[in-house]
Amino acid sequence: MAAVTDAVVPRAPSLLAKTGTAIRRNPTIFFGGTILLILIVLAAIAPWITGDPLKLTPSQRLRPPSERWWFGTDQYGRDVFARTIHGARVSLVVGLSVAAFASVIGLTLGLLCGYFRKVDAIVMRVMDGIMSIPSILLAIALITLTRPGLGIVLVAIVIPEVPRVVRLTRSVVLSIRSQPYIESAISGGTRGAKLLIRHILPNTMAPLIVQATYVCASAMLVEAGLSFLGAGVPPEIPSWGNIISQGRSFFQIAPWSILIPGAFLTLTVLAVNLLGDGLRDRLDPRLSRRM
Amino acid sequence: MSILQVRDLATHFFTQDGVARAVDGVSFDLNHRETLAIVGESGCGKSVTALSILRLIQAETGRIVGGSIKFEGRELTTLTEEEMRGIRGHDISMIFQEPMTSLNPVLTIGTQIAENVVRHMGVSWKEALDRSQEMLELVKISDARRRLDEYPHQLSGGMRQRVMIAIALSCNPRVLIADEPTTALDVTIQAQILDLMLELKEKIDAAIIMITHDLGVVAETAQRVVVMYAGRKVEEATVEELFAVPLHPYTRGLMRAIPRLDVDAEDQGRRARLQEIPGMVPVLTQVITGCAFAPRCPFATAQCSAERPPLIESRPGHLAACWHTDKVLEAAA
Repeated sequence: MAAVTDAVVPRAPSLLAKTGTAIRRNPTIFFGGTILLILIVLAAIAPWITGDPLKLTPSQRLRPPSERWWFGTDQYGRDVFARTIHGARVSLVVGLSVAAFASVIGLTLGLLCGYFRKVDAIVMRVMDGIMSIPSILLAIALITLTRPGLGIVLVAIVIPEVPRVVRLTRSVVLSIRSQPYIESAISGGTRGAKLLIRHILPNTMAPLIVQATYVCASAMLVEAGLSFLGAGVPPEIPSWGNIISQGRSFFQIAPWSILIPGAFLTLTVLAVNLLGDGLRDRLDPRLSRRM
Repeated sequence: MSILQVRDLATHFFTQDGVARAVDGVSFDLNHRETLAIVGESGCGKSVTALSILRLIQAETGRIVGGSIKFEGRELTTLTEEEMRGIRGHDISMIFQEPMTSLNPVLTIGTQIAENVVRHMGVSWKEALDRSQEMLELVKISDARRRLDEYPHQLSGGMRQRVMIAIALSCNPRVLIADEPTTALDVTIQAQILDLMLELKEKIDAAIIMITHDLGVVAETAQRVVVMYAGRKVEEATVEELFAVPLHPYTRGLMRAIPRLDVDAEDQGRRARLQEIPGMVPVLTQVITGCAFAPRCPFATAQCSAERPPLIESRPGHLAACWHTDKVLEAAA
C-alpha cells in the first residue's frame, strides 16, 4: 500500500484565526471598539434609516415601543428611535471633538510646562485655578452668557478638561526629561524645539491616547448633563440629555423615552471607557498594574 | 601635544545643605591620540568633570565656578550655548554608562545616528543614513542596513553600547569622553567594547578620556591616569608608573582592594585577603582644610589635617598630593 498521505503543511493563520487571537488578547479593546463603531455608523447614516426626529404626530402621542415605533413616541408624538439615533450624533461629535481639542491644547501646554520652568510656574497656577471651578457651573455660566449652540457647548466642556491633560503631559515630560537618553541627546548637541518635538513628544503619546478616551467619556456625560439642565445644545437639536429631560414629566406612563436614551448614553460611555482601559493595557502595561 | 587642557576646574553644586564642591581645582592635559583614565570611587567628581567639559551641568543646581577648559586653544567656559552645541557631539562626544536607557525607545537606531550627522555635518538625511549604516558596520553590528530600522528594545545591551559608540563617533570627534562605558555590561562584552573603542580611536585619530572606577579597565586601555578623591586630583602618572609605584595612600588602597590571580594565598598570607579602605568618602559640603583623605589614611599626621598637600612631582612625570610619599614608598618596599 502506497503510504501517500497529505503532508501536513503548516498554513499561515487565516485572517479569522488572527482576529480571534487579537480578540482573546484584548477583549476590552474589541468590545469597546465594536460598540463604538456601530454607534458611529448608525449616527452617520441616521437621516436615511430613521424618520424626521422633529416631526410631530399628535395622534400618536406616548405610544409604547411597537413595530411602527421601535422605541415608542414621546408626549408630542415624536419618534423616540429617530431622536435617539440623531442624539448619538451630538454625543459622538461632542465626545470626539472635546477629546481632540483638549488633547491638542493640553499636550502643547503640558510640553511647554514640562520643559520650561518659567512657563510651568505660570501655566500650572492657571490650571489649578480652572480645576477649582466646578465644570458644570463653568459651562452653565459660559452658555448663559452667549447664544446656545453646539460650538459654545464644546468650548465650555473643553476648558475644564484641559488641565487634566496638561497635568498628565507635564508629569510625563518631567519624568522623560531625566532619562539618560535625553541627557545623551543633549550631549550630542540637541536642544530646544528639536529635543522637545523629536525626542520627548513621541514618548508622551501612549499615556495621552489613553487619557483622551477618558476625556471623551467624561465630555459625553457633561454634555448630557448640560442638555438635561437646558444649558446644552438648543432643544431643536435632539440630544440624549434633552430627550431625557423632556421625557422626565411623563416617566411613569412613558418610561421608554427616558430609559432608551439613558441606556444608549450608558452603553456609549462604557464602550469608550472599555476602549480606554484596553488601550492602556496594550500601550502601557506598567500603568495597568499600578492602577 | 595637548588637545584639551583643563586648569583649576571647579564645579560647585548649590544644595540646601550648602555648597557641594564636586570638582575642586582639577587640572590635567589630554594629549593627541592619548587615552587618559580618570579613576576614583563614586562621588569623587569624575563624572562631574566630564559633564563640565561639555558644559552639561544643570544650571538650576550647579555651575562651573572657576578654572579654564581649553580645547584646541579655544576656551570652552566662555563660549555661548549656541557655540557649545556645535562642539557637543561634533568635536567632543560622550558615551554614557547605561546603554539600556541611553537610546530613545521611540526612535529607530538609524534616526538616532543620522540626526547627529545631519546636525553637525550639514548633509542630507539620505546621506546621513548612509553614514549611519557605515558607522554600524564600523562598530561591527551585522546586517547594518536592517538594524537602521530597528528600535533599541530589539538590541542587546552590548549592541546598544555599540550603537552609542557609533553615534558618538559619527562626526569624527577629536575627543571622546566615555563615562563608565562598560560598567553595565557583563565581563565578556566589556572586553569587546573596550577593544572596539581602542581600535576605532586609532582609526578616527581621536583622544579618549576614560572615566572608570575599574583599575582593570585602566590598565588595559589608558596611557596616563588621573586619580581623583573628593573633587581633587590626588595623583597623576603613566599607567606603568602608577601600577609599579603608587605614591598616594589612596591609590595604594584602591590597588589592594583588587582581587589578584597571580598572588598565591598561602604564599603571601597577609596580602591574600582583600583590604578595604576604612571609613567613608567625606561629605562634599564640608569645608576640608587639610588633605581630604587624612581621616582614612594610615599615614596621616597632624600636618595632614591642618594643611592641604600640594601636588609634588616626586618622581619624573609622577605627581602626587601627599605629605608623606617617602613613608608610603618605605612601607611598599
